[in-house]
Amino acid sequence: MTSNVVPAGLRERVLAAADRARPPGQAVPDVGQDTPIEAFSRAADALYDTLQALGDQDWRLPVLRDLDVQGLIGHLIGVEHDVQRCMAGDPEVGNADHVASTQPAALSQAGRPPAATMADWREQVDRTIRIAAQSDLDAMVAVHGVALWLRDLLIGRTFELWTHENDIRAVTQLSPSVPEPSTLRPMSQLAADLLPFGAAFTDLHEPISVHLVLTGQGGGTWDVTVGDPAPDPAQVGIVTGVVGFCRLVSDRIRPADLDVYVTGEPRQAMSVLTAAAALALD
Amino acid sequence: MEATDALLAARLAAGDDRALAEVFDDLAPTVYGAALRILREGSAAQDVVQDVFVELWRHPDRYDPAAGTLGTYLNALARHRAVDLVRSELRRLARQERHYRMSQDGTEPTPSDQVTAADTADAVRAAVKLLPDGQRQVVELAFFQGLSYREVALATGIPEGTAKSRLRLALAKLEAVLDRQLLESP
Repeated sequence: MTSNVVPAGLRERVLAAADRARPPGQAVPDVGQDTPIEAFSRAADALYDTLQALGDQDWRLPVLRDLDVQGLIGHLIGVEHDVQRCMAGDPEVGNADHVASTQPAALSQAGRPPAATMADWREQVDRTIRIAAQSDLDAMVAVHGVALWLRDLLIGRTFELWTHENDIRAVTQLSPSVPEPSTLRPMSQLAADLLPFGAAFTDLHEPISVHLVLTGQGGGTWDVTVGDPAPDPAQVGIVTGVVGFCRLVSDRIRPADLDVYVTGEPRQAMSVLTAAAALALD
Repeated sequence: MEATDALLAARLAAGDDRALAEVFDDLAPTVYGAALRILREGSAAQDVVQDVFVELWRHPDRYDPAAGTLGTYLNALARHRAVDLVRSELRRLARQERHYRMSQDGTEPTPSDQVTAADTADAVRAAVKLLPDGQRQVVELAFFQGLSYREVALATGIPEGTAKSRLRLALAKLEAVLDRQLLESP
C-alpha cells in the first residue's frame, strides 16, 4: 500500500473542515433527546410494565437493603411524596435523608395486596408528573440533601426508577432493561455535568481534565474538569459504553468491572470512575 | 476494552474529535498515497483526503468493522473519490468537446478553456498514457495543448473527421481505463 508524507497543514485543514461539518461532542446518529418530564414518564412506564409482569410471590423477594420488592415500591412512593413537597417549596425535605425519610412508606406496604401498592405508586408518579408539568423546570429545588434544578431532579429520578426497575428485574430473573437512546441522552448529559460533584463527594482533589466518551446511542463526548482548580490539570481520557456508565453512576457496577478504554494515568481514571459511582443516592 | 477499529468507529460516532485526529495521524499517509496514485497531483489528492476524513467524521456508521479494517475502508473511499474526480473532469472535457464540435463555427478554444484543460492534464495524464498511440496523440493535442480539430488534423496528418472520431473513442477508453484502475487498486 502506497504511503506518502502528508503535506504540511493538511492535518489542520482536515480537522477544521471536520469541525465545521459536525461539532465535536455531537453524537451521530441524532437520537433526539427526551424532555425531563418525558424521560421520567418513560422510566415510570417501564417500571410499571415490569411490576405488572410480576407474580404475587415476586413481590416478596428481597431486593434492596432490608426491603422486598413491595417495600422498594413503597420506598418510591415515599420519594414521590418528598419530591412533591420539594416542588411545593417545603424546605424541610431538602435536608431529609433519602432512606430514612421514605422508610415509613416502604415498611407500611407489608401485608397489603401488591396491586394496591402498585396502584398507589402509579398514582403518586402521575401526580409528580402533573405537578412538574405545571412547574418551572429551571427552578432550583432541594430534596434529600441535594439542591439542583427541577429539570435535573427529574432526570435524576429517571436514573432512580430505571435502576430500581433493574433491581427488581434482577431478583425476578428478568433480563436487564435499557432506556431508549433519547432517554439515555439526557441521563448521560446529567452524569457528565455532575461528575465534579461526584469528585467532591469522594474527596477527589487532584485536578484532572477528563475527556469522557460514552459510546452507543444516547452517548456523546464531554470535557469535564474535576478536582481542585489548577492551571495545568492532568489529562485523562475515558471511553466506555453509555449504558455501562449509567449503571456505574447508579452504583450498580463497580468501577473496576466497567469495560473501559483509558488514556492517561489509569489510577486517575479509576478515581474519576469512583467519583461517578458516588453520584448514586440509592 | 481494546483499541480496535470498532472502538474507533464508536468513538467517532460519539463525537470524539480526538479519535478523528488519531485516525488521521495513523491513516492519512496511505489515504493520501492512494489518492495521489490516481490523481498524480498533490492539490487534488489533498482535497480527496479532506473529503474522505470529513465523510468519516460525518457518517462513521457507514464503516462496518466486520467488513474490513478502517484503513481498507478509507483507502477504498479515497480511490473512489479520486476516480470520481477524474471522471468528472473527463465528462467536462467531453462536454467541451461536444460543444466545440456542435458550434461548427471553427472558433478556437478560449484561453480560459485552454487553462482549464491544462489544469486537468495532471489528473488524466496517467490514464491517457495507457491509450493507443493514435488516440493518445489526439487527446494530448486537443486537450493538453488546446488545439482545434483542424489543427490536430494538420499536426497529425489525418483527416479532421478521423481526429474527431479518435477523440470520441479515446474518451470512452479513458472511462474504461479508470474503471479498471479502480478495480485493480489494492
